[in-house]
Amino acid sequence: MIKLIVGTEAMFFLALIMAFVYFSFSPGFRSHQLLNLDIKATGVFSILLFSSSFTFWRAEINYHQGKIKQLRFWLLFTIVLGGIFLLGQGREYISLLNNNVNLSSSIFGTSFFTLTGFHGLHVFVGLIVIAIITALAFAGDYNKPGSSVIDSVGIYWHFVDIVWLFVFTIVYVVPHL
Amino acid sequence: MKATFDLALISSTQSIFDAASPQAEKIIRLSYGFLVAASGILLLVIILTVYITIRFSSKTNTVEPRQISGNSKLEILMVSFPMVLVVIFYFWSLNTINAINPDRADQKPDIIITGHQWWWEAVYPGEKVITANEIHLPTGEKLLLQLNSADVIHDWWVPSFGAKIDMIPGTDNYLWVTINKPGIYEGTCSEFCGQQHAWMRIMVVAQSPKDYNTWLTAHAVKAGLPLDTLARAGAAIFMGTSCSSCHSVQGTFANGIAGPNLTHFGSRQTMLAGMMDNNPENINNWLTDPQKVKPGAHMPRFIFGKDSVRELTAYLTQLK
Amino acid sequence: MKLILLPEPEEPIPSLSVSHNQGLLQWISSVDHKQIGIMYLWLSVIFLVAGGIEILLVRWQLAVPNNHFLNPEVFNQLFTMHGTTMIFFVAMPAIFGFNTYLVPLMIGANDMAYPRLNAFSFWMTFFGGFLLYFSFLAGGAPDAGWFNYAPLNEYNYSSSPGIDYYCSGLLLSGIGTVTASANFVVTILKYRVNSMSLKQMPLFVWMMLINSFLILAAFPSLNAALVMLLLDRQLHAHFFSAAGGGSAILWQHLFWLFGHPEVYIVILPIFGIFSEVFPVYSRKPIFGYAFIIGSGMAIALLAFGVWVHHMFATGLGNTVNNFFAASSMLIGIPTGVKIFNWLATMHGGAIRFKVSMMFAIAFLIEFTIGGLSGISAALVPIDWQLTDTYYVVAHIHYVFIGGTLFGLFSGLFYWFPKISGRMLDEKLGKWFFWLFVIGFNTCFLVQHALGAMGMARRVYSYPDLPGWGILNLISTVGGFIMAIAVGLLVYIIIKALKTGEKALRDPWDANTLEWTTSSPPELKNFDHVIPVNGARPFRDFKRPDDADWKKNGQQWKIN
Repeated sequence: MIKLIVGTEAMFFLALIMAFVYFSFSPGFRSHQLLNLDIKATGVFSILLFSSSFTFWRAEINYHQGKIKQLRFWLLFTIVLGGIFLLGQGREYISLLNNNVNLSSSIFGTSFFTLTGFHGLHVFVGLIVIAIITALAFAGDYNKPGSSVIDSVGIYWHFVDIVWLFVFTIVYVVPHL
Repeated sequence: MKATFDLALISSTQSIFDAASPQAEKIIRLSYGFLVAASGILLLVIILTVYITIRFSSKTNTVEPRQISGNSKLEILMVSFPMVLVVIFYFWSLNTINAINPDRADQKPDIIITGHQWWWEAVYPGEKVITANEIHLPTGEKLLLQLNSADVIHDWWVPSFGAKIDMIPGTDNYLWVTINKPGIYEGTCSEFCGQQHAWMRIMVVAQSPKDYNTWLTAHAVKAGLPLDTLARAGAAIFMGTSCSSCHSVQGTFANGIAGPNLTHFGSRQTMLAGMMDNNPENINNWLTDPQKVKPGAHMPRFIFGKDSVRELTAYLTQLK
Repeated sequence: MKLILLPEPEEPIPSLSVSHNQGLLQWISSVDHKQIGIMYLWLSVIFLVAGGIEILLVRWQLAVPNNHFLNPEVFNQLFTMHGTTMIFFVAMPAIFGFNTYLVPLMIGANDMAYPRLNAFSFWMTFFGGFLLYFSFLAGGAPDAGWFNYAPLNEYNYSSSPGIDYYCSGLLLSGIGTVTASANFVVTILKYRVNSMSLKQMPLFVWMMLINSFLILAAFPSLNAALVMLLLDRQLHAHFFSAAGGGSAILWQHLFWLFGHPEVYIVILPIFGIFSEVFPVYSRKPIFGYAFIIGSGMAIALLAFGVWVHHMFATGLGNTVNNFFAASSMLIGIPTGVKIFNWLATMHGGAIRFKVSMMFAIAFLIEFTIGGLSGISAALVPIDWQLTDTYYVVAHIHYVFIGGTLFGLFSGLFYWFPKISGRMLDEKLGKWFFWLFVIGFNTCFLVQHALGAMGMARRVYSYPDLPGWGILNLISTVGGFIMAIAVGLLVYIIIKALKTGEKALRDPWDANTLEWTTSSPPELKNFDHVIPVNGARPFRDFKRPDDADWKKNGQQWKIN
């Protein structure tokens, strides 16, 4: 089930990414990207997001081995990493908005905020879900192995990271090539 | 100047089968070919359906029939036969496409047509002629039309000329057409473009190169000051109120571009993009309340007095 | 705090009637797939009437040239709502209704994999539909056509809130559709009775499985487009406005990347219905079971490679057009060849002319007409002449009515006894059939000619050109005959529910598992399921000596 949901979500992002790529050929788009986007800082935040996939993976492993303490730790760690990533996104947004780049300022603003905004929304939803399972983990719901919840959430969380890999490459890296 | 064409030239129907250009003729040939193949297939299905339903009715077949569930040979045949047809028609279509839409290279367009909500603007590059809705083209020449839009997507379609093509804001589209013989050809906007999509009809007046050049020369002439006093008063209203901020009349201060160019309005047969005949009564009604005549049109209702309307009508009708 | 317990259905559902003992609350709170399926079906009937009234007004306006019955603003809202309603809130809910009701029964399951998600899907569709219709009260319905092209759909050109309701209504129902599809996939793959292998699934279930994947892949594109449009309209983004650097064509790409698969989404399940109906009323197995599945998969894959055939006139260039012309003609093969599968199924059979079967037989011809006119639109030069004319209007209606709606009617007459426990009146049903078929062809056959004569679609009025008036009048008369027929159908259904003859367990001598249950089925579908050793388990059970699995796929010999 979660794979089907992730599959259909992937199609949704494919459409958004296609729109972004489509517009990236329009004049002035690339200079906007080079001028306004902070690849270094976002690169660091991206690494944090990617590591959150690793930490969640550790959580999954520990859960299957019945190590509840470690499970709780890795879940918390994931939340922290994801949270920092969102803060980093917020920082990027604020600097763009200060430079008068917003959803309605240009086609770059339109496609940038829509694409990264929807990704951010997915990260946010993921964090809420992970927060819930973390709370449940502390409440003792996952003391026994055998629940598929953590694996399912994991599929979603890894998916969100993979999407970011594509988004980051297309939005931040490609204009420098 | 008086119109150089005769309304009787309008053929009784203007369907896709009344070709007036080699481009349209090619499409007709493909269409006939397709019709033959399609009728064959349809006939086959009808005959089989009727035959099978009559022959194998349960009234005649009361015992349970043999339980047959497939036949690979027949299934292969069922796929390969249409496959052959597809290949034939694909290449036929390919050839037709290449013939009617050859590469444009760097050729400049002979005429630029822009779709507006809900009228057509025609600009003749190199000539000082801009007109609206009634578009004159020469016969016998392979013309390149450039098509644009000023607002939403419109579509240029004159069935007798062949292909239609969308007019998309921010994009230039092109269409080739060679008109065989003089005449009046009707068409219509063929992409839904809002309230008055229905009344965005095309009238193309195809003329021999000689007549066409006469027309061009006549239409390059700027409008002079009217002689008639009524029309003079109309001109004063036209220039003095907001008419001139949307409409152009060459030779005057009126140089608006939002609405149709009216320099030679009086010489046109129809008004409001083919909605009605161009006569004083219709102009009068239109000026009195545009929204009643063509709801949604972008011309606002000006509260003109009856006299002003009469004067404006007089001015517009003499713009020949 | 006192907990309120929502009543779960306690008894089998005696009828389609909503006025059951526990009242409306039972229906609203239900998670039973049969009740949800029935609600889907009623929802689609309600919207069929709404969409029908809209188009009758439109046809009335078009009956004569230069008519002033409707003003253009109202006209545009009506035809937009007609198209949107019929596709998203009639065809889709009707298909989902049959599927939700029948898929678990046909695979020997007692419910969907996720019953509550199933209810959620239905209510999303329900509220999506009513949100769309709320626009009439909120200042104007959407008015840019069902495919809602940019930039006409932008705020500058359509400032009433209609299109915002279009976006939100379709987003809601789209979420419902996607979740329902995920639910179907899991149900079909995981909840089949143990003995039923994939190769033994009824074709109806197969088609729905393929269709669910198609939906999961196609709807996100629509959702993305709708979201972008909402951003444009509400927050002044520039996706589709050329003036702000956006692109009007992008909308068309995104919409048709969804929209063309959507056409197959509303026809594949219909192929499934016919693949049940033809064998039963011919008393023969389906001809080419594997072939139908294979061609269904081929359609699903090709469906994503044909969308540009809606855009041949947008000037994308010869190379692009040729590619999509090829793919569009190719997809015609797996779609069209099935006609011969069904013909071959009837061949050599013992055909019973029940209303359901009559719709199936009529479908063979009507759908061939629709399919062939579709192929003509895949031939780029012909499309350049005929796209966006009444020819295309005729084409889509031959496909959507001659295909989808005939299939739904066929399915209705076939499964109604199972769903309601009552028989539909066959005699009146035949009246309905002939009225509808005659009305349908009267209405739409002439529109092919109108298109070729130069009549563009979506015009609220037209000049009095030779032949136009009379052909339009004929078309309008046909439309009203169809309306009378639909009125008769509603009467037939209500009459059957009130006084209809009680249905037996297996009135048609059918082949699949749903007919092994009582009519209507108990709340718990199955206590035990008969053994499944082939694609026709119930027939094998009824005729153990002649069971399919005892013979090795007898092939048809051409003499």
